[in-house]
Amino acid sequence: MKASIKWLKEFVDFPLSPKEIAIALTMSGLEVEALEERDDDAILEVSIPPNRPDCLSIMGIAREISAILRLPFKNISVSVPKEEGEPPSVEIKDSALCRRYASRIIRGVKVAPSPQRISHRLELHGFRPANNVVDITNYVLLEMGHPLHAFDLGRLAGNRIIVKTAGPVNKILTLDNAHKNLAGDMLLIWDADKPVAIAGIMGGLDTEVSSSTVNILLESAYFNPVSVRRTSKAINLSTESSYRFERGADIEGLGSALNRAAQLIAETAGGKLTAMTDNYPAALKPVHIPVSLSKINKILGVDIDFSVVRDLLIRLGFEIKRAGEGITVIPPSFRQDIQRDIDVIEEIARLYGYDKFPATLPAVRMQTMPQGSGLFPATYRVIKTIENSMRSSGFSEVINYSFLNPLVFDTLRFPVNDKRREVIKIRNPLRKEEEALRTTLIPALLDNVILNISRGEKSLRFFELTRVFLPAGQKLPHESLRLAAVYLKSPHAPSLWQGKHEGFYEMKGAMENLFIKLRIKNYSFTDSDLCEPYLYPGKSCAVSVNGRNIGSLGTLHPALSESLDI
Amino acid sequence: MTIEDVLSIKNLADEEIKKTGDLKSVQALRIKYLGKKGVLTAKINSLGAIPKEDRPEYGRVINETKDYVESLIKQQEEFFKASELENLLKANRIDVTVPGFFIPHGYQHPTSRVLDEIVDVFLSLGFRIEEGPEVESDYYNFEALNFPKDHPARDMQDTFYVTDDVVLRTHTSPVQVRVMEKNKPPLRVIAPGKVYRCDADVSHTPMFQQIEGFMVDEHISMSDLKGVLEIFAHAVFGASTPVRFRPSFFPFTEPSAEVDIGCVICGGTGCRVCKNSGWVEILGAGMINPRVFEMVGYDPELYTGFAFGMGVES
Ligand SMILES: [Zn+2]
Repeated sequence: MKASIKWLKEFVDFPLSPKEIAIALTMSGLEVEALEERDDDAILEVSIPPNRPDCLSIMGIAREISAILRLPFKNISVSVPKEEGEPPSVEIKDSALCRRYASRIIRGVKVAPSPQRISHRLELHGFRPANNVVDITNYVLLEMGHPLHAFDLGRLAGNRIIVKTAGPVNKILTLDNAHKNLAGDMLLIWDADKPVAIAGIMGGLDTEVSSSTVNILLESAYFNPVSVRRTSKAINLSTESSYRFERGADIEGLGSALNRAAQLIAETAGGKLTAMTDNYPAALKPVHIPVSLSKINKILGVDIDFSVVRDLLIRLGFEIKRAGEGITVIPPSFRQDIQRDIDVIEEIARLYGYDKFPATLPAVRMQTMPQGSGLFPATYRVIKTIENSMRSSGFSEVINYSFLNPLVFDTLRFPVNDKRREVIKIRNPLRKEEEALRTTLIPALLDNVILNISRGEKSLRFFELTRVFLPAGQKLPHESLRLAAVYLKSPHAPSLWQGKHEGFYEMKGAMENLFIKLRIKNYSFTDSDLCEPYLYPGKSCAVSVNGRNIGSLGTLHPALSESLDI
Repeated sequence: MTIEDVLSIKNLADEEIKKTGDLKSVQALRIKYLGKKGVLTAKINSLGAIPKEDRPEYGRVINETKDYVESLIKQQEEFFKASELENLLKANRIDVTVPGFFIPHGYQHPTSRVLDEIVDVFLSLGFRIEEGPEVESDYYNFEALNFPKDHPARDMQDTFYVTDDVVLRTHTSPVQVRVMEKNKPPLRVIAPGKVYRCDADVSHTPMFQQIEGFMVDEHISMSDLKGVLEIFAHAVFGASTPVRFRPSFFPFTEPSAEVDIGCVICGGTGCRVCKNSGWVEILGAGMINPRVFEMVGYDPELYTGFAFGMGVES
């Protein structure tokens, strides 16, 4: 969220420099990611966590500043001009998905470009100006955080609004001039005949406010966050509006956003506005949260008293009552993230300042380890032993991605029925070549060799020790630990042995060294021409421990090394 | 044969031996004078032909001559042997400054090295290591960590999906839930491992390593979280490194914190690495959300705990 310092100062007059205010916000939970200084202003780029939709506006951030710095918050004074004419006719058919729908009609507007002070501010905050009506809905969205929508009343059949789901309708043409496919349970805004907007996400193109618009209907509503999010994901469209609704809008504050926009439109585009039609079937009941002082101190490890707690919460706009040993907290309507005592404790901690907490060390109770486990799982110790052994044999550790390109099975000459061809696939890989999870570590090691040869390396030893993912006929695959190593031997490398053998014996020595370190005695290397399709028949063998085959060792198959140019 | 004959042999031998220039010619003279068919040997062998009364005198002169030649040759031989050895040592000098030969030792991957270093700090604080699957169910990766379905908090982590219900774990935090489900407090656990994010951004890799840590007992506080993480930061980044804690948001902790250390590149004055802030974020942490305790069947009024997670890059 971008926020102009000048605009913020209209709500809270703080004496801090842009850099100082950026630090103050960051240290109380709204991280300022960038600060852009301009001639007469500065723009903060504020990262708003998903639980703080109330801060997705200039006023929201200003409220935070007022709480942090103990400065008065200057609320906007909205004065609606004289109301006249027939107010909008609105019907909510699905009150679970739309808990409130407030609207006004403004008749006789002159649609034109916005005054510079409006369009300039929109541009500063990343909005493209359109016309005075649309711009003011965006201006109020930025200022107060509540999304608004303006319809061309003349294009609303029957001059009325119905809020209901799509039902059998499966398409709508939206403002971005694209058809959106609809599902039956998506919430739409309808006129007497047809859908005119996807609720909380985007208006329809047909009822767009244009230069020929004379009368408008201004909407300020509260849509169900889950419903907006599902629809937005399903049609793959996220807007400033849907972003706020899916995080939770202020159901109590939407009336003043409507009034603010109506007033500004009347001021800049002219026109007469009607009274508000406010469909609000079930008013929000504020939550009462009991919080005990001892729990606050227990969780935070501090010793603060009631007066400190009260001061902190009042600065945040919370109402509090003393209730026996503890307090009862009533958060404002725009703080729907505050539901339980822990939420209140977090607010206290945040505003109190983490830097004021002592750094203590917990008292520790010793305990017996769970059955069959030591300080760490047995595999962890084995992993460390294998890594050490491989390194002492001259092999360097590599860490490759867990992904694999299934095409590589053909390169490696795997037969069609090779088990390793059964891969777990990722539904949304970044690249087609990374669509499967590894069932073998060999391809990536060969890629490492090819890459290093291209860099001029003549001799190298790599190993990788990690998991492969094997389908196990249940929800999660079997994750099995594997060791793979590769040795590229320069023909000119000095050797203890006579004759050409492509490093087979060095590799075998590394394996034997590993068995010694793991205290494995009963191992054997058995001549086998068929142990792996990618190995050289006659220069490869199967490796067994206690008579059980555990792997293979050998020179790369000549056909493979030729095709890979190794 | 006369005494004079023997004395002239002695003089000749004396002259010849002293003139020799190497071991070989000395040895030739040993054969010439003292060998089986040598000149002096022949004289000894012909003693029988000397009249009896003259024999002792002859014998004495011949033996004296033999001993004399013998010792002279020996002396000369030793001289040449010593000088030959000296020449041998001189000839066989090596250059001890030439680099030694050794079996090259392999390297640990830099990320593993950092990982080990961090794990060691927590092992020394009595944490134990646990592991969990990299292909994880939606329940453990999200739901049990208070990321409900259809919640915008899920947007915080770009997720690789295997099925609707199975993901590549986006963090090591599911290990918290798995361990708590199977064990009762007190718990001090660290869980290193690979995690996956499908960030299309070039500055992010789809796979990286993370370390999760958590501690649960009856009286663990936010101040304890600060104390333990300060020990960690000072052990890994240096005892004088400044550490700061600031509020943040994670669904599975509350209150949540971001932990920063003073930028080691600029020393806190501001540079590109720290985006001019003087601070670099190293980990996310917080008090374990009571909702997570409820999910694993712990009484949130009895137990409290903290958790932290950090990405490990080399
Ligand atoms: Zn720096």
